[in-house]
Amino acid sequence: MLSIIVCVKQVPDTQKAVFDPKTGAIDRSATGNIMNPDDRHALEMALALKDAHGATLCALTMGPPHADEVLYEACALGADRGVLLSDPRFAGADSLATSRALARAIERLGPFDIIVTGREAIDGNTGHVAYQLSEFLDAPLVSQIHRIRIDGAHAIIERQYGHEYQTIRCPLPALLSVGSRDNRVRHPRLADIAAGAVQPIRRMTMDDIGGSESDYGASGSPTIVIGAELFSHTRGREALPGGTAEKVEALVHRLKKHNILRY
Amino acid sequence: MDMALDRTQLMVQRAVRAFARETLEEWANVLDRESRPLPAEIVAEMGRINLWGIQAPVRYGGAELDTVSYAIAIEEISRVSAAVGLGVTVHNSVCLAPLLKFGTPDQIERFVPDLASGRKIGGFTVTEPQAGSDAASIQTTAAPDGDSFIINGQKAFVTNGGVGDLFLVAATLDPAKKARGIAIFIIEKSMPGFQVGKIEDMMGMRGNMVSELFFNNVRVPKDNILGRPDEGFRISMQTLDIGRIGIAAQALGIGEAAFAAAATYAAERTQFGKPIGTFQAVSFKLAEMKTRLDAARLLVCRAACLKDRGLPFSTEAAMCKAYASDAAMRVCREALQVFGGYGYVKDLPVERFFRDAKITEIYEGTSEVMNIIIGNAIMKEFGRM
Repeated sequence: MLSIIVCVKQVPDTQKAVFDPKTGAIDRSATGNIMNPDDRHALEMALALKDAHGATLCALTMGPPHADEVLYEACALGADRGVLLSDPRFAGADSLATSRALARAIERLGPFDIIVTGREAIDGNTGHVAYQLSEFLDAPLVSQIHRIRIDGAHAIIERQYGHEYQTIRCPLPALLSVGSRDNRVRHPRLADIAAGAVQPIRRMTMDDIGGSESDYGASGSPTIVIGAELFSHTRGREALPGGTAEKVEALVHRLKKHNILRY
Repeated sequence: MDMALDRTQLMVQRAVRAFARETLEEWANVLDRESRPLPAEIVAEMGRINLWGIQAPVRYGGAELDTVSYAIAIEEISRVSAAVGLGVTVHNSVCLAPLLKFGTPDQIERFVPDLASGRKIGGFTVTEPQAGSDAASIQTTAAPDGDSFIINGQKAFVTNGGVGDLFLVAATLDPAKKARGIAIFIIEKSMPGFQVGKIEDMMGMRGNMVSELFFNNVRVPKDNILGRPDEGFRISMQTLDIGRIGIAAQALGIGEAAFAAAATYAAERTQFGKPIGTFQAVSFKLAEMKTRLDAARLLVCRAACLKDRGLPFSTEAAMCKAYASDAAMRVCREALQVFGGYGYVKDLPVERFFRDAKITEIYEGTSEVMNIIIGNAIMKEFGRM
């Protein structure tokens, strides 16, 4: 039976988010929290593997104490257990410090055949974690997965790569990065919600995964955010001068400049 | 008293809301416009996620949730499609619930697994063309014949009538005995002599195939009587108590949908240089709508909590049903007014909410019948003093 770990993250529901127009930061108190959308697809891929091959499935998240909500949700969808990595010493982590903590937790929880992550989170949008985990855990990473099956100690993966499909054979353990186009997420059964909501969650701190404070949180993070600003979408009007031919040429020039026309 | 939902209830709310938005929303207008039922694959998916067996035991394929979670699920479905909410609440609360409560172990084994999984859709019918609020005056007869009963008669306004596979049917063994002569029979569509009549062309709830049912010498084995032969009326009344919590939750869902639409519109629509929601004429409407809906929610929650604790809830169910249906109707009327002319056209769903809301004041006991129940309880209490 396969042993699978899925990394999930609790994020603010950015569709409902209120942004501070000056700092560009999300007002987290005004926004509900959800499981990161790509992580739902990651979980779905793990569940599909569990359905097809049989697996024990562990959902792992790092975050504040209330991040356990996404673990209960994962259990409602079919994860067998949830692990919350939570410690004030992890606060302020960038993607590198996050991946380091996750990788060390995975080593403690392991061994695993497959580690699945979402492609990126909607709050930070870095898309780093899968790649960094691949480095820390020294395991291959496959993304853009169209189809996957397990054959002994290997995964046979069809991946969509630009305009072509590749079929690859990848040794396990491996990391899979999953995005919103890779599958369709199931809805939980109400009976499984009732069971998942009372599933005991394992809680881990820095003391459980080793290392020192300088490895984690803000002090272990090389990234410094020096500013954030909101996108603003504005419309403008412009009258192009000259005859029709000149207007068309000027218009084509502008469309090319904005990458709307390419050739 | 804890007013907050627990983790399971919150997760149920989130999950059913997501399911309704992602799966039912695109059908809501189609069902209404074409007066047609949901496609079979969506009915089956609803079965997979336990919506046809919300409170049925897990061992029979249900989710075994409490009544608060049940009300939440009905509300969330009804926010998107009240007609689908109707089918779900009737199946669960007036077909499955009485089967589980009054059924013999054999009846439960025979009928509950198919119903709880949604492989079969259920209904419950007392009402006849001549017997509405006066439910004891039904004329559908059951005549004993060996190990069976022969059922003859006609039922009216049967929710799920056109799509249902199994119905709990009230019939009289002796019209002279009035209420004491009524028994409930478990009747399946496959029984010879069972016939679906006209599908009603209704003002609202058009996605539910409400119909007439005809029973023409339908032979029903004795084993299919629910409870004792003389307690059909009592079973019906207790069943409707449960059903009323569902209808109240449905009314709440319709009202919440209309309110959300109106509030969103009031924040966007600009007249006289300002969003119309900033004018008191509109904001006072919204404030009243919101307050009424919250009051309705508390009444629904109280009735559900009492039921979950095994306490009497008949009067409280009547109160929540009367209040929530009235709130839904008022909220829909005012929401439509906020939309002005745009509320009156079929491009936007507010007019559908308005049409759907009206029936909640009528079925499973009219608001007037609710007041009789509440009034009787008051007289019983104060008469004793």
